[in-house]
Formats: sequence, structure tokens, C-alpha cells
Amino acid sequence: MKLIKYLSFAVTGLLLSSMSIAQSADEIVAKHITAIGGTDNWKKINSMRQEATLSVQGMDIPLVITAVHNKGTKQEYTVMGMTGYSIITAEGGWNFNPMQGQTKPEPITQDELKYGKDQLDLQGDFVDYKAKGHTIQLMDKEDVEGVECLKVKLTRKSGNESIFFFDPKTYYIVRTSSKMSANGQEVESVVNMSNYQKLPEGIVIAYTIESTAVPAPITITKVIVNGKIDEAVFKVVTK
Amino acid sequence: MNISFSSIGIAAFCTAIFSIASAQTEVNSSSFGTLEARVLGPGTMSGRISAIEGVDAEKGKTIYIGTAGGGIWKTTNAGASFKPVFDKYCQSIGAIAIDQKNPKVVYAGTGESNMRNSVSIGNGFYKSTDAGSNWSKTGALDSTEHIAKIVIDPSNSNTIYVAAPGPLWSDSKHRGLYKSVDAGKTFEKILFISDKAGCADISIDPSNPNTLYATTWEFRRTPYSFSSGGEGSGIWKSMDAGKTWKQLENGLPAKPIGRTALAISPSSPNNLLAIVEAKQTGLYISADGGASWKQQSASLNVVSRPFYFSTLVIDPKDPKRVYRPAYSFSYSSDGGYSFAEASGEGGWVHSDHHALWINPSNTNQLYLGTDGGVYMSLDRGATWTFVQNLPVGQFYHVDHDMGKPYKVFGGLQDNGSWVAPSSTAGGVANGDWKPIYGGDGFWVVPDPTDQNMAYAESQGGDVNRIDLRTVKSVSIRPLQTSAEDKLRWNWNTPIVTGKANPKNLYTAAQYLYRSADQGRNWQRISPDLTTNDKKKQEQENNGGLSADNTSAENHTTIFTIAESPLDEKIIWVGTDDGNLQLTRDGGKTWTNTAVNINGNGIPAQTWVSSIEPSHVSKEIVYATFDNHMYGDHNTYAAKSTDGGKTWKAFSSNEFSGFAHKIIEDPINPNLLFLGTEMGLFASLNAGKDWFRMKNNIPWYALVRDIKIHPATNDLIIATHGRGIMVVDDISAMRGLTNEILAKDVHLFETGDITLSTGNFGNGGFPSTGGWVSPNAPSIKPFQYYFKDRINSGTIKLEIHDGEGKLVQSIPATNRKGINRVTWTQRIAPPKTATGATKPDNGGAIAPQVLPGNYTVTLKVGKDEYKQPFRLVHEENSSFSLAERKAQHESAMKLYTLHTSLASIVAGIADKQKTYKEDVAKLKNKKSIALGNDYLTALETLRATLIPTKQTSMFADESRLREDITQVYQAICFNEAGPSNLQLESIKTLSSRVDAAEKKALEINVQFETNVKKAIEKEKSK
Repeated sequence: MKLIKYLSFAVTGLLLSSMSIAQSADEIVAKHITAIGGTDNWKKINSMRQEATLSVQGMDIPLVITAVHNKGTKQEYTVMGMTGYSIITAEGGWNFNPMQGQTKPEPITQDELKYGKDQLDLQGDFVDYKAKGHTIQLMDKEDVEGVECLKVKLTRKSGNESIFFFDPKTYYIVRTSSKMSANGQEVESVVNMSNYQKLPEGIVIAYTIESTAVPAPITITKVIVNGKIDEAVFKVVTK
Repeated sequence: MNISFSSIGIAAFCTAIFSIASAQTEVNSSSFGTLEARVLGPGTMSGRISAIEGVDAEKGKTIYIGTAGGGIWKTTNAGASFKPVFDKYCQSIGAIAIDQKNPKVVYAGTGESNMRNSVSIGNGFYKSTDAGSNWSKTGALDSTEHIAKIVIDPSNSNTIYVAAPGPLWSDSKHRGLYKSVDAGKTFEKILFISDKAGCADISIDPSNPNTLYATTWEFRRTPYSFSSGGEGSGIWKSMDAGKTWKQLENGLPAKPIGRTALAISPSSPNNLLAIVEAKQTGLYISADGGASWKQQSASLNVVSRPFYFSTLVIDPKDPKRVYRPAYSFSYSSDGGYSFAEASGEGGWVHSDHHALWINPSNTNQLYLGTDGGVYMSLDRGATWTFVQNLPVGQFYHVDHDMGKPYKVFGGLQDNGSWVAPSSTAGGVANGDWKPIYGGDGFWVVPDPTDQNMAYAESQGGDVNRIDLRTVKSVSIRPLQTSAEDKLRWNWNTPIVTGKANPKNLYTAAQYLYRSADQGRNWQRISPDLTTNDKKKQEQENNGGLSADNTSAENHTTIFTIAESPLDEKIIWVGTDDGNLQLTRDGGKTWTNTAVNINGNGIPAQTWVSSIEPSHVSKEIVYATFDNHMYGDHNTYAAKSTDGGKTWKAFSSNEFSGFAHKIIEDPINPNLLFLGTEMGLFASLNAGKDWFRMKNNIPWYALVRDIKIHPATNDLIIATHGRGIMVVDDISAMRGLTNEILAKDVHLFETGDITLSTGNFGNGGFPSTGGWVSPNAPSIKPFQYYFKDRINSGTIKLEIHDGEGKLVQSIPATNRKGINRVTWTQRIAPPKTATGATKPDNGGAIAPQVLPGNYTVTLKVGKDEYKQPFRLVHEENSSFSLAERKAQHESAMKLYTLHTSLASIVAGIADKQKTYKEDVAKLKNKKSIALGNDYLTALETLRATLIPTKQTSMFADESRLREDITQVYQAICFNEAGPSNLQLESIKTLSSRVDAAEKKALEINVQFETNVKKAIEKEKSK
């Protein structure tokens, strides 16, 4: 059940990875935003529902990620008929993992919440990043799985830092690397992205996401943009 | 055979993704990115530590460790775990400094300054602004080669001083004390003595940062001598931040002096201590800021080997507490007037100390860097605990046996000779490494004809035969007879077994010796093969001011021996003074081919560091040459195709570092590997083009030796600072031909794959400390090549059986170059019963498939690539093919029981869902009772099939589902036929599933029609 333990952390990176999105660093970021559909299209995004599968040697674990811009995200996963979830809102965050015998959701730590709150920006870190109070910095190029990537460090208003690795041909993000603080320790989370596809709304997102924390890639199977999402899904029910 | 089913073709597919298609495919390390090295360690014997610095504000939690050849390691948890943070840069670290006002800023000076014979060199000064995650070279100090200390002005973080002793093997104007006033961007040299004397130490008065103390040092090595001391050595003081300097002499020994270790008391900065190397090396104390000094009597340890032990530290708070880490660890509680030695309580502390960090917020806590790793003390150095998770050992050579799994053998700088399994239960941990001989270790060679025997040595020709069963050694060093001159043994004396005739054992002084009986009897088979230059044989006068003659400077000796794999009579010998000798008649006659090499830009006298006779032709030979001891760091490697008559030097812009080792792949002679002081390089085209290997290997690793295991195709690397590394199965590098490189996608043939549930056991507990290497993979992965990273479309592997039935589908990776994906040789797990209050493992476990013919299909978007392969059963005494078939059959029966039970439980849940709400709405008492009886009967049955009460993993509630899983799990993971009771149990479980199905049917028959009627009746009212 190690898988389950890591899953919620991994999925935590999912929204950030696929949608987030905070030559000069500014030029790279501008080209990136154009490549993934442009500022105007991204600024129209208010909600998203993604269905995905994590496949481990034939065992498929379905995931559902529901997000409303700047309100909340909920990530649900079902393993052997049992469904767990994690929720992050501006007010707090909770994890529910019945596979570990939990009978009700437990609050996440302040460290996790500090990182998690940055994921509520559904329109991406890089769209209007200056107005959001983020800063960017160009770093030396680095090879990621054979791609000599452009590398930009984003420092969010929250103080959280992530390094983004851009494919110089497509300006898509190949990898993000974020350092979280957990109980005073540095924990690095690395997420690789590929299989970019354009949605009818004009935005482009990664359909395959690999995280160092999960044993297999996550594949998105369905995306609904700006569908009606009842914010009640982010309410935590404590039985 | 590789069949593409693509109608469009992958080329079109890729072009659609990438607007610019690369015209020619460049092969580089990223082409083989998935071939990542495993770091075997060990952590039990670590390596030389040259610098330790901690973040003051973190109170001992965040510490950086600089090593002699393994880069920089960082802990953020006081040593519970370490991560290497300098793997893309020069691995030899001289000094580290942290800006304590902004501890994200860290500086590293490369090039260790413990100037022993084997010391490496640096390539400049680096800065990180994010606490070690990223570094950039700055300050243009690239030519200093050795940096001893970095000091930051505590009042102004932009002011930095760098003490550079400078090059060890040559004159240089790049020595001296450097100052930066722009946080390392630029430096100005502010104290320069001569081309021969550099700056060895710098201290700053924390109460008045304009006051500086520097020591200068004149020193030099040649391949055959070492000298410490001269007119250029001195102790200096500046009162104006380095503008002007005054030499301190009052009370200090007269010149010439050697290396000085100087310490300032942070809490009482007028108090200074200095250990001054002189004709009589002594300890000197000043209480007036260096204006006058008094000699103080000192123990042998305090004044021992001053060129090598230059560390002297005063407690940050207590001016009386002084530490002298040297050969051993001495401490003083009275300001240096008397010293005591650390106690042995708590265990041995490795000798030869070079770094000490005192936690300023808890000065009882010390971190000590030695030649054997890091130790931590909580009692001001009285007792020590070893830090066991730093795999920075400095190997000279590596070898392997032919066991399964094979063992690795190697000798460590200052740390003896060792043997370890390449894989073992739980991974290769510190305790798996066994010491088999002491002293400094070099060649450790298993006897290919006797698995119980190996040969090992300590420095200077102390060759031994070791019985690996008892670890008893027998000295087999050849001795001088009346027919020979005094024998001259290299520090790192070669011990080699024959490649054509494995019974041949060779070793060499200036003569070559061969034994056919494990060293019991030796035959000298050469005259003196060196230049026998007497000027290079005066080691007894070695050391300069302090005698230092440990065989490290022995010269005009044989350094390398190689028997041709094609003919035992062809033997090549290389010497440390530039001779490359060949015999074609087993040693009767010798030809010196050195003169033929020198025309290729390879200087005369160059140390012949390795020779590799080819596996395919007696006339082809490769060699590496190391001229760094004459101040020349060029990478020299060459090939001859005419038995050494003519040579062609390899060249590449990728090369860095002087060369130690070249090898030819035994199968594909176009595949070459070259190890240098700064990296591992590979060529796929016989040396025309080279690339740096970065496969979880530090980019500038000190690569001393390389082997390819003939059975596993593993690349085994001895590093001088990162222990032994293994890249499992490099056959994909062998197979990446030009034809394949030109393709966009290629799925490699797999060959037969052995069925396995894991080769190294699955018991035990995770590591709780020390260094643990992962094991080699138990199952051979599928391998495929992508010319570029695939950015669009889903990539997966499908496995079909001989009848074309889909057995398994697994997600696959998309990286550029070689990809590796492992299939567990199992089908998808069953859908097990859901709705329980607890999870059950059954749904995550799948039966292993049977041996037979299969096909793997790589799907890239719409395109498909296929390769047939065979899964084979490895016959052994505990698991016959018949037993495997019985095991599979049983597992499949239990699989079916799970799916049947899942269907029954789903049926029950379905009925419960259908009637629950309607029953709740019933009003008629009789109908209510009937409805409730129905639901209760269903729930009662359900509760016998799956857990419905307990949620805790610590509370058992075993029901039919769990009972099936218990047997199913055991059988699925057993490499054994099912037992009689397991077979019996399957029958019982099968009847219980049948009974459950029957019972569910009965309940529905008994109640459903009536309940339905009752509901409809009330609804119609």
C-alpha cells in the first residue's frame, strides 16, 4: 500500500504540472504561454475536471481531479473499490485515505498547505506572473532526458520556488522541480510532462505525467473545461 | 527483426511534433540516459574528507562535506542522510565557505590541498546562490589547481579571500592569496611570493576584519620526489585588509620553513597558534596578534607530517580549547600548552585528519574529516561516531569474479582491499563489504582458476595470496636474488592474471615476474624494463624539511602489465617513466615501443597508465598515458594497429583530465571506454567520436579502472572518490549501430528472458542507515531507442502470447535514446470483491505467466514495432517445469475464484442498492419486516464474504476474500509447486465460493419476488 501513501502527494503536483504555469526568462515564458494557447485562452479557464489513470503492471487506478480557479482542488483516486481523496482550498487542506484505515479526513500539515495553495491558480503561474507577485530568473540550460532544456526558476509570491525546464523547440514544459519544506527537511518533487494535446478551448495541456513519487505514469483520459462544478465538493465531510 | 506496422511512418509523426528535424543524430550520454549507474559504495570505508562547513543558523543540521575525489555532499538533518550536490563539476574539493548572513550563498574551491602523491587537481572556484542546488564557475581562478581555504569577511559578505597554494607539479604564477570585493565575481591577487610558493592558509580577525593572517608555502612534487619548504614559506599579517603585508618572525623558527597551520581564537583574536614545519617542526603561541611568539612543547601528533596535516582549530567560544586533527586527534584545554588524545571508547577513528567543523550553537558537537570519512562527536572530541552513509571511497582498481551474482574486488587509498557482492538480499549494504587485506589497497584480483583465492597488496609491492574462505594471507612478494638490482616497486604495484591463460599470474618491480602456481614460485621473465634513471631513484632523501618516504615516490618501476587475450606469449608492459615494452615470445625478448608513441604529441617519460591488447587482433593495442606529474593535464590515449610500431592518439573536445584507463568491449571492438581524472568517456565508433558518460556518474568522476563483465555485460567502474559503480548490462550501447541510430524508433531484440520472481529475495527490512546500493534488475527489461524524446501521443508496450492473445499492457517511457521498461511477467491482477471496509492485496497480485513464445509490441501513437521473444524456465532442483505449470494452474484457479467472488458480491450490492430506498419507504409492518429480512439476509451473506466492520490495518477480519488471497498470494510468489494443503485449500475455497453463489441465489429466490410485489403494491396505492 506504499503506492497509496505516495499517491496523494504525487497527485498534488498534477494540477500544477499540467496547467500551472507561471533569450530572457521573459521571452521564454512568453513563448511558452503562446505555445500552450495564449494568455487570453488561459484567462478564460475557471474550472477543470480531469479523469486520469495510473496503471501499474495492469492494475489501473482511476483518478479524478476537480478544480475551480482560486477556490479549491479535489483529487480522488480509487484502489480496489476504495476511494480516497485530498482537498485543498484557500482555507485548508485535507487527506482521506481509507486504505490506511482512516475513517475521516485528516488535515494536511502547514508545510503541505503552503505548497498546495499555489495550485489553486488554475490559470497557471506564468500567466500574468508579475501581477501575481511572482518573479522569474533564467538559469543555465540543462539536459532532461535528452532534451537540452531552457531553465527558468519561478519564485512565487508565497515564497515557494519551482524550476521549470522548457523544450527549446516546442516551449512546452518537460519537467518541473520543486523543493518543499517538510518538517524542516528539503523534499524535492520532480514531475515530467509529455504527450501535450490541444483542447477545444484552445489551451494545450500534458496528457502524460510522471512523478518521482509514483511508480507509473499518470495518463489523462478526459478533460472538461469550465463545466459547472459545485464548490460543495471541496467541503470536507467529517463523519 | 523489427517490423513496423506504420502506414504513415514514425518520421512523419515526429516531424509533425518537431518543426526542425535534426540532420544527423548525435550520440551522447543522453542517448543512454536510462543506463544509470548503481553506486555500490561502500560507506563502511569512506574516503578522504577535505572540508566540512555548517550553516550556523541551522545549529548543526545543515552541513556541507567536501571530499578529495567525490565532490560535495550536503545534509539537512545532521547526517541522517546526505545528497551529492556537485556532480556536474570537478570532484576534488579544497575548501567550502558559507555566507552565514545569507546561507543560501555557498562557495567551493576545487582542488584539494592535502598534497599527497595521489592528490587530484581542481579547475576553479564555484558559487551557489541556492544552497547548493545549482552552481556556476566564477572568479577566473581556473588555473590555481589547488585551493586550501576560503574566508568571507564577517562584516561584509562581498569580501572574500581565497588561499591558493597553486600547482603541485609545476611552477605557476597562479598561486597566492586572492581577494574579491564583489562576492566572487572577480578576484585580485593580493599576496604573491613566487612561482614556487603559494598561499596555504588565511584567517581573518572577526573583531577587526581588516586584520588578516596568511601563511605561504613553497612545495613541489616530481614523479620521483617531494619537497616541502623553502625561502618562499612564511607567516604574514596585514592590518589593512590585504593592501600591505608584514612577515611575522619574532620568536618563530628561522627560514627555510615549510607548511604552517595557523589558528586564530575567534573569541579572543589576539591569541594565535601556529604549527610551523621547520628543521625542528614546532608549535608556537602568540598572545599579541602575532607580534611575538613562544615555542611550546608538543606531542608527536601535533607536529606530525605538516605537509599533510594542516588543520588547527580553536573553539569558537572557549579560547583555551584547541583541536589538532592530524595523524590522530589531539585536543587541549589550556590554550595549546598541553594536548591529550581522543579516547578509543566508542570505536576506532580513522587516522589522517584534514577537516574539523565545530557547531557554534553547541560546541560539544564536532564533525571530523579523515582519510576514511566523517566522524561526529558530542563530547568535544573525546569519543566519536562514524558517519556511515558517505560512499566516497577512493579505489585504484576493480575486478570481478564469475559468480552469480558476481563479486567485485578493489583496493582503496589508505583503506585496504575489499570484496563485495554486486547484488545481494536487501541490496549491497556496508556490512556486505569484507576487508581482505590492510594498508593502502590497490590491485585486488580474484584467481580466475580458483574461486577461493584472490591476490591483494599494500603499497610498494607487498603482494599476497588471500584465501577468501579464511581471509588468511600468504606473502608472495618476489624477492631480489644475486642476479638482480635492488627491486623498485611502484606505490601501486601491478598484479595481473592472464587473459589468454588464466593460470598466469604477473607482478612487477623493474622486472616482470610470472607464476603458474598462484605465486608459490616465480620466474623473472624480463630484464629491467624501465629507463633505470638513477637520478629518479633518490627517494631516501625525500620530503624536504620533514623526511617523508613511504614508497609513494618510488620511480622507474613497472606500472602496468597486459597479456593479450589472443596469445599468452604476447605481453605488454608499461612503466612509470615512459617505456612501453612488448614481448611476443613470453618474455624471452623485449622491444621498447616508447619511441613510436612520442611522435603523436605524447611526451617522452609519460607514465604509461594502462594498456589494453585487443580482443580481435594481436596487432591492435590501446594505451593511456599520464603526464600530470610534469604539470601536463592533457588526456593522452592512443591506438596501434601494427603491434605498437605506429600509434594514433585519440582526440576529442569532450576530453578532460589525465588518462588512467582505456578498454575495448570484448564483443564490439568499436565500443571503447576511457577513464580519466575528470570523467568517463565512451566511443561507439572505435575512437573517432567520444562523449562523456553522465549516467548517474559524476560528470568529472575520477575514473581509475573499468571492467566489462563477460556474463552480465555490466560496466564496472572504480572511481577515486565515489567508490565502485556498476552500469548494469550495457549491451544496448554495443547494439546501437549507425543503422539503428538513423531510425526514429527501434525496438531491440530481447533474446530469451528468464522467468523470475526476483533473484535476491524479498525478505528483510528497509535500510535504516549506512549506504545501501540497489541490486541489479532480476528481470531483463525491454529496450527501445527513440531518436528524440516523444512529446505527443501515448506510448505503451503490449505483450501477446503465442496465440496472439493480449497478456499485458504497460505504460512506456518517452525519453531520447535508450528506454528500458520491465514487465513483471504477470498478467493483470483480478478484479476482486469491492465494498469492504478494508483493502485486500488480492486485487494487486497477478499470476506469473508460463514459459513460451511471446511478442512485445511498442506502440508509439498509431505506430507499432514488434519483437518476438521467449520466456524461459530456468530448471533447478527446487522448481521443475512441471511444478511451475502446477503453480500457474493453481494461481489461475484462485484468480478465477476472486473474479467469481467479485461478481457475487457485486450482485448482492446491486440488490441492496436496488431495494434499500424502497424498503425504507414501506409502511406496512409485514412488508417492512419482509423487506428488512431480505436486506438483512443479503448483508449477513455479504459479511461472510468481505470485511464489513473493521477498518484498521491492525484488526483482522478475514472473510472469504481474504482467505482466497492468503493462498493466492503465497502461490503467486512461490517459485515452487503448490503443496498438498494448498491444493486442498483451493478445493475448499472453491466450494465456499460455490456455496456463496448458491446462497445468494436462494436469498433472492426466497425474498425478491415478494419484496418487489410489496413495494409495487404500496407504490400503486
